Amino acid sequence: MRFLVSFLIALLIGIGIGLYLGRVQFPVEVTDSPMSSLAPLYRDDYAVMIALAYAADRDLAGALDRLRLLEVENVAQFIQDTTERFISTSRSVSDVRALVTLAEGVGRLTPIMEPYRQVGATG
Amino acid sequence: MSQTANETPRSTRSRYERPRRPFSILGMILGLILGIGGTLAYTWLLAPVEAVDITPWQMDSEGRAAFTAAVALAYAQDGDLPRAVERLVSLRFPGDPIQGVADVACQLASTGYVNSSSGLQAVRAMMHLYQLQGRSGCADQLIPAGGGPIAGVVELDLPTPTITLTPPPSKTPTPSAGQATPTPLVIIVPTSPPQNDFVLVGVTTACSLERPGVIVVEVYEANGATGIPGMEVRARWNGGESRFFTGLKPGRGAAYSDFQMDSGIDYLIDLPGRADPIQQPLSAVPCTTPNGDRSVISYRVVFRQAA
Repeated sequence: MRFLVSFLIALLIGIGIGLYLGRVQFPVEVTDSPMSSLAPLYRDDYAVMIALAYAADRDLAGALDRLRLLEVENVAQFIQDTTERFISTSRSVSDVRALVTLAEGVGRLTPIMEPYRQVGATG
Repeated sequence: MSQTANETPRSTRSRYERPRRPFSILGMILGLILGIGGTLAYTWLLAPVEAVDITPWQMDSEGRAAFTAAVALAYAQDGDLPRAVERLVSLRFPGDPIQGVADVACQLASTGYVNSSSGLQAVRAMMHLYQLQGRSGCADQLIPAGGGPIAGVVELDLPTPTITLTPPPSKTPTPSAGQATPTPLVIIVPTSPPQNDFVLVGVTTACSLERPGVIVVEVYEANGATGIPGMEVRARWNGGESRFFTGLKPGRGAAYSDFQMDSGIDYLIDLPGRADPIQQPLSAVPCTTPNGDRSVISYRVVFRQAA
């Protein structure tokens, strides 16, 4: 009985220590994950980079191909949402302009984007 | 005496006579080993943390390559080197992040990634990024310089036929006023390559405090060693151009000419009518000297007479 009680108490303590070590102190470093698992901060940054490239070369197929790696359900909607969020949170104007150009390229130019639309920008 | 006889030395008492501990050492050790070991096995192997909200370095090779390409493409557009480097750092390349770009470009240039124009453009953007910072990779050999149209093919936009009010005296039918205007016709006419008598040998970069933001153009005879003075060189940019000549600074040799760049402007260099322009625009972007000082990059463009 004494052995059993000691074993169970130590087991509980061990589980607690193990959880702390395994989840907090030494968690598994996840690698080889798909781009779709990127944190929102980096997804936004990736979208901005693709938009900047699109603003320069107008290669819509290339831009959409690159954005597909994010595995969003609707790429055009994703661009629109990202652009509008950038505008409403007062992000860098150059980033917003690039995103607006890309949004216009995929046919998602909305009224809030109009002031940032670059003259001569076409899809 | 009797008391002495009743007392037994502690060391000689049997385990059954010693007071019992309130816990079992063996049970505690076994419990801790099983608890810690089992939980670690569970958290590390059976149910590791789900990969959400990862950072770029945690992506698979495809994602890392795509992210690297995006960094280079964005840099080609905004020329913001610190921002590009910051993004590359998030990929945690082993060692130099710029060299990491060269390695990824090499890897992509060796695959079918460059079969599409988008892929080729991305690799060229990566080459542009790392070459400006003085790095090199196998993509330099695998991907030809320049990003222009395929040599030997030229696209012609024919003018749209217009409606004529007074038809000329010919049997050619004239479009009626109500007829829809045809769209411009684009035909592709194969041509022979232009016959230039000078060829581009190469473009190299340098970063120094002494001469920042300079394009040096040198023109040599076919032997590659004898400079040709008086050769007209042209620098073109969006909305302007400048022409200058080799040999006007004798102290620097007969082949030598130079041009001072302004920041934020892309320049194309050629020998008008004698050599095609370089395909990759040159721009005055920040760089770091070997001593760690900040400066503006300079270029050396060499032309040689075709053999």
